[in-house]
Amino acid sequence: MRLVITRILVISLERVAVEFNDFSFTYAGSTKPAASHVTFTVGEGDVAVLAGLSGSGKSTILRAINGLIPHIYPGEYSGSVKVEGMTVQETPTYELAKKVGFLFQNPENQIFMFTVERDIAFGLENMGYDPKVIREKTDWAMDLLGIRDLAKRSPSELSDGQKQRVAIAGSLVMDPTILVLDEPTSLLDPHTALEVVRLTKELNKRLGLTVILVEHRLELVSTIASKIIVVKDGSIWIQGTPQEVLLSDGLEEVGLSLPPVVEVQRKLGLKSGGIALDVEDFVKEVPRLWR
Amino acid sequence: MAKAIYEGLKFRYKTTVIHRLDPRVKMLLSIVLFALALLGFNFYQEIITFVLVAVPATLAKSLKRLMRVVALSITFGVFVVAINLLAGGTVVESIVLAVRFLEIVASTSLFFVTTSPDELEYVLRWFRMPRDFVFAFATSIRFVPVLLMDLTQIIDAQKSRGLELDRGGPIKRIRNLVPVLIPLIVNSLVRSGELAEAMESRGYGAVKKPTSMDVLRLKINDWAALSLIIPGGALLIWLYIYVI
Amino acid sequence: MALIEFENVSYKMPNEVLALEKVNLRVDEGELVAIVGGNGAGKTTLLKHMNGLLKPVTGTVRVKGKPTTESSVAELSKQIGLVFQNSDHQLFSESVKEEVAFGLRNFGFPPSEVEERVARALNAFGLGQMSDRAPLTLSGGEKKRLCIALVTAWDPIVLALDEPTVGQDHLNKVRLLELVRRLIRDKRTVLIVSHDLEFLWPLQPRTVVMSGGRIVADGPAASIFTNFELLESSGLRQPQLARLAVALESPSPFRDVDEAVAWLREKNGPWSSGSQTAFGKG
Repeated sequence: MRLVITRILVISLERVAVEFNDFSFTYAGSTKPAASHVTFTVGEGDVAVLAGLSGSGKSTILRAINGLIPHIYPGEYSGSVKVEGMTVQETPTYELAKKVGFLFQNPENQIFMFTVERDIAFGLENMGYDPKVIREKTDWAMDLLGIRDLAKRSPSELSDGQKQRVAIAGSLVMDPTILVLDEPTSLLDPHTALEVVRLTKELNKRLGLTVILVEHRLELVSTIASKIIVVKDGSIWIQGTPQEVLLSDGLEEVGLSLPPVVEVQRKLGLKSGGIALDVEDFVKEVPRLWR
Repeated sequence: MAKAIYEGLKFRYKTTVIHRLDPRVKMLLSIVLFALALLGFNFYQEIITFVLVAVPATLAKSLKRLMRVVALSITFGVFVVAINLLAGGTVVESIVLAVRFLEIVASTSLFFVTTSPDELEYVLRWFRMPRDFVFAFATSIRFVPVLLMDLTQIIDAQKSRGLELDRGGPIKRIRNLVPVLIPLIVNSLVRSGELAEAMESRGYGAVKKPTSMDVLRLKINDWAALSLIIPGGALLIWLYIYVI
Repeated sequence: MALIEFENVSYKMPNEVLALEKVNLRVDEGELVAIVGGNGAGKTTLLKHMNGLLKPVTGTVRVKGKPTTESSVAELSKQIGLVFQNSDHQLFSESVKEEVAFGLRNFGFPPSEVEERVARALNAFGLGQMSDRAPLTLSGGEKKRLCIALVTAWDPIVLALDEPTVGQDHLNKVRLLELVRRLIRDKRTVLIVSHDLEFLWPLQPRTVVMSGGRIVADGPAASIFTNFELLESSGLRQPQLARLAVALESPSPFRDVDEAVAWLREKNGPWSSGSQTAFGKG
């Protein structure tokens, strides 16, 4: 009970989950900065989408959240990154791992063990939890993602969507407050991709997780995002609500595809006010448009 | 060939009496059978050892698979017979030798077909192997199917560019491997990089002594099996050495 | 004449899963065919039958009338050029031009012609400047273009691309689209295996839908892409423009945004400026 109250207090007092303050980073051996003067915040419980071309610096920014930068990748670091009040530069990665669940593009490369349940337990084992606690938490995570029946299966027998669920369970088992996903859908077929996006939103709602997601198919994520951050050449090009970002000019230049339904509205001449982000909303609004 | 052996030895999850045994008990059983196979020098001993391997394999519903692994090693068996004959051994002697070799293969395989890599990892930990070593061992087994898949795809891709692996003289054939090996190595390096990132993100190395979800504990069926294996094994080894 | 013909083809994987079931397909010269379906629908297995990497268990696959069982993979690959999904599974040479030359040498082109073809292919794909660079140092988009260039270099009668857009960002997808359009203008026969319907939509290809190893539909994009149930049950998603056309009850699907805008204007009359702010949540 006390834990719950503290959690609520924390949420209402410090609403910021991730805070980048003038962060710049140049990988060792490189001359060009991979990120320069990046400043943004993500509030508790937000769904933030990072978008931009490949090589624009999205991955660098993500890796600065869970401490892979600078702890694993050395380089020239300036500015600061704070995660749940911890300064990333001064916090070891395993401490950050308790707060930040990280999901990579290819789930295959983040499943280490031979059975689903053992893999999900991996993080807890690393933390030295008691076997009983590990069992409880692992079961909880499997139930949460609806993969209890896969417990004894080998990861190589799973479908792409199932692998992605196992990987998510493996990071949620640590009870993080932030879930970071690096292009989680790029290798998936459209159905599975949508499933993962919906799942992410559901976890965000049910657990109050802060979600930071890299995705360039805005069509897929603009409806679940509370904030979109567009990155170009290592800097933030624009950030704001989906409405604000999708109405800004020059998105094509930074290599972003507008959802066609948004493009239609823009071409119709809509410059201010809200825009519908998906087909269904738009169709509902059509009669009003020509009122 | 490598793929066939891999398929044969690959663990498949089953719930037989043997599969449910503690992995340490299964290991002991395998070691005892291995010792018997090694000690067998005559016809009778070979028969007894064969039966002793076949019974648990049957109980584990894995006799067929075991036989397939053995069948794959028969080439070597034939080789053993040939060498022994050339060295002046009699036919019976040579066959016994070859059978002995096959039984050695069978007894060790019995352990691998009935023990999941997971259990194997527990055994290694129980032996107090260093964490890094155990993890490296575990992931290397885990990624065998993944790398095999990469390999198949790379070979397919290069064949589609006109590469014919089994064409040309010996030197040409070795050179033919370059377009396959380089992408394989590059891909494996990429994978291992991502693997390292994922390990780090899941708190690898947070505490000196990581715990584990399950703790190996001998259950009643394990004790029952041990009470058979230990005296039985000792008796048979004594018999093999001194009596038959 | 049919370039590729599948007649009642079934294929069982080593693990006994039926990856293709009674597939019948005919691809004619100059066609653009999209083969769509979710992951695991059998699309790649189908492709691998075309250049003989896989041979049918039952049924016959014919390339230019000749069963694939009668030719080697190399002979077939010279005719059916396959570009695999993962560029990193193919690139191994020291330089971009060597990478292109590899296939040409395998197929026995004389050295002078190899050089000429390499130069032509690289220039055609905007890679001429990079001919001495190491393929592994290229960006993801450049690698993809190189992989397509190196296959077109030997002028196969059919060019087959396996999931060309997977892992590619929007800019690269736009470039790929241009590239495919050019291939079509050059009268090449092109097959695209993909689950990216947003990418395929503007091309309006003949579309073959696969699901569970079977061909469940074969027809023009306009009719397939607007069939919501068919796509959903095959692990696919309707492109947004197709969904929009259906939702707005437009008699014909919108090929691009401009068509949608024009249709909306025509149907509803001119835009009234006052309504702009009335839109959305407010």
